[in-house]
Amino acid sequence: MPDKQKKWYRLDTAALIFPAIARRNWSNAFRVSATLTEAIDPDILQRAVDDMRHRFPSFFVTLRKGFFWYYLEQSDLPVKVREDYAYPLTFMSRRELLQNCLRVLYYKNRIAVECFHSVTDGRGGSVFLCNLTARYLEMKYGISVPKEGLLRNLTEPPSEEELEDSFLKNAAEVASGRREERSFRLRGTPEPDGFRTLTTGIVDTQSLLDTAHRFKVTVTALLAAVMVESVIRMQNGRLPRKRQHAAKVTIPVDLRRLFGSGTLRNFSLVLNVGVDPRYGEYSLEELCCAVYHQLCAFATRQNMAGMIAANVQPQQLVALRLAPVLIKNLAMDFVYRRIGEGGGSLNISNITGLPLPQIMSDYVKRMEFIIGPQRSYPNNCSVLSYGGKTYINMIRSIRESELERRFFSRLVELGIPVEIECNRRS
Amino acid sequence: MYCVKCGVRLQDGVNRCPLCNTPVWNPEQPEAEHGYSDHYPGAHKESNRPFSVAMTVISVMAIAVILTVCFRLYGELNWGGYAIGGIGLLYVVAVLPNWFRHPPIEVFVPVDHAAAALYVLFICLKTGGNWFMSFAFPVILVSCLLITATACLLKHVRGGRLFILGGFLLGLGGFTVLIEFFAHLAFGVPMFLWSVYSLIVFAAAGSFLLLAGTVPSLREALERRFFF
Repeated sequence: MPDKQKKWYRLDTAALIFPAIARRNWSNAFRVSATLTEAIDPDILQRAVDDMRHRFPSFFVTLRKGFFWYYLEQSDLPVKVREDYAYPLTFMSRRELLQNCLRVLYYKNRIAVECFHSVTDGRGGSVFLCNLTARYLEMKYGISVPKEGLLRNLTEPPSEEELEDSFLKNAAEVASGRREERSFRLRGTPEPDGFRTLTTGIVDTQSLLDTAHRFKVTVTALLAAVMVESVIRMQNGRLPRKRQHAAKVTIPVDLRRLFGSGTLRNFSLVLNVGVDPRYGEYSLEELCCAVYHQLCAFATRQNMAGMIAANVQPQQLVALRLAPVLIKNLAMDFVYRRIGEGGGSLNISNITGLPLPQIMSDYVKRMEFIIGPQRSYPNNCSVLSYGGKTYINMIRSIRESELERRFFSRLVELGIPVEIECNRRS
Repeated sequence: MYCVKCGVRLQDGVNRCPLCNTPVWNPEQPEAEHGYSDHYPGAHKESNRPFSVAMTVISVMAIAVILTVCFRLYGELNWGGYAIGGIGLLYVVAVLPNWFRHPPIEVFVPVDHAAAALYVLFICLKTGGNWFMSFAFPVILVSCLLITATACLLKHVRGGRLFILGGFLLGLGGFTVLIEFFAHLAFGVPMFLWSVYSLIVFAAAGSFLLLAGTVPSLREALERRFFF
C-alpha cells in the first residue's frame, strides 16, 4: 500500500527565526543563478525541475504552522518555471509559501532559483542550482555530466545527513554571549513599490586575489574592510565622531567545513566584524588587519559551537517548547529586534568554491548569488566567484546609491578594474 | 565606456552611471542589453478577509446563543443586552477596519467612539440613570478629539513624533482632570482626589518627550536605546 502520508520536516535551528520575523512586505530569501551560453528552453527546464523532486525533497516543501512550531511539509504542487521579474527577490508572501518555498525563474540565458531561507542557506541553494543546471544541460544537449563534487545522482534517495539539523549535533555544552554593540544603521528613501535595485560589480578574481594578498588577507576580509571603510566615510558625513556608531559588517560563516557536515539544510552562522570609528581614524591596511584577525579569532570550531549552543539551548527549554507558536513569534521577533540585525550595517555573504565539471563549464558562463535586503537595513552584499570573475552583487531597497558608489570606487582606487551592471529603472 | 567620476566600467548603452548618476556621453552608443525583464510582480497585499469573515460568523453565533438563552430562561433580553452591546462594540473596534484595504484612522477613531457612546447610552437608559449627557458623553467626546487629533498628526505630519506624543501625554493629563471635573458635576464627588497625581505623571512624561524633541543628544540616546 503506498504511503500517502506527506513527509514533513522540523525547521532547523537557524530556520526557526525566519517565519517569525517575516512581515507583510518582507521575507528572508536568497537567489542563486546560472547564466548559460544559449537561451533557456522553459519546457526542458520544467522537466528538469520535476526530476529534482525525488533527490531534493527538502526543497519542494510548503511552510506550515503547527500549534507549537512552524514546520515544512512536502508539497504536492509543482514548482512552475516562470519568467523572471524586473528585479530579483520579489516578495514571497505567506500565500506563496503555503504553496511552495522555492521559485525557479528564467530570463534569456539565465536560470535562477529563489528560496525561502527556512529551507536552506546559500550553500544548499548552490548545490540545488548546480544539480538543476546539470540536469537541464543533460536533457537539452544530451551530454552526460559526471556526478562529482556538488553533483548528485538523481536516481538515488537523499542521505540522512543531507536532511539533518546539524546545529543540534554540534552545539557546545556552554553557550557564548550574544550581546553586540549596535552598528551604524544605513538609511535612505524606500522604494515605494518594493523595487530592489541590484548593482553588480564584476571584477577579475586574480586581480582581487592579488590585492588581498598585498594586504596579507583573504578576499572576504578585503571586501569586508573596504565595506567597513565605506560605512565609516558615510558616517563621517552625517555625525560628529564622538556620536558615531561601530562600523561593522555581518559575515555568514559556512559551518559545513568546520564541522564536516554534508547537510543541505541551513548550517551557517554570522559574525559581526569591524571597528569603532570613535577611537580614531583607520587606514585601509589597519581595517584589513582588524577584520582579518577578528575573522580568524572567531570563526573557529569551538567559538562557533558556543554560538550554536546559544541558539539551540533556548529552544530546548520546556517552557518555551510548550508556548504556542504565536507567543514564540512575539518572543523571537523581540529577540531579533534586540540583537538580530543591530550588530552589523549589512551582510557580506561570500560563497566560495563551486567547482563544476569541465563539460558543464563549457555551457555555463556565469554564476551569481544574491541575498535580499534585511528587515531593518536596506543594503546587502553577496559575492560569488566563477570562471575567473568575481560577481559582487549589492542589492538595496532604497533609492540612494551612496554605499555602492563608495565601495566600488574604492576598489577602482585600489587598482581593481570594476565593470558595473545595474537593473535600475530608467 | 567608463564613468569619468567613479572610474568603473559601464554596461554598453547606459545613459548614466548607476553609482553616481554622472551622464555618459557616447556618440556611438550601442543599445543597452537589460539583465532583467520589464515584468513587475502584482500587488502582494495579503487579505484580512478570512479573519473578518470568521469573526463575523463567531459574533453572529454568539449573539444568537445569547438571545436564545435569555428568551428561553427569562422571556426577555435581561443581561443579554449588555453582552450583545459588548460584542457589537468589540466588532466595530477590532473587526470592522479589517474589511477595508486601507482603513482610514481619522474615520475609524470617531466611529469607535460613537459605538462606545451608543453602548454607554444603552447602559445608562437600561439602568435608569441620568448621567449620560452630564458625564459619559463629554468624556467620550474629549477622548475622541484627543485621540483623533494625535492619530491624524502621526499619520500626516512627517517628523516631530516626540512633540506629538509629548503633546498627547500632556493632553491625557488634562483629560484625567476633566474626567474628575465631569464626575464632580454629575455625581457630586469632590474635585482633585486622584486626577492631580495622574496629571503630574502625564505632565512629567509629556514634558520629557518635548524636551527630548528639542535636545538632539537626548533624542539620539533615546533612539539608540529604543530603536526597533
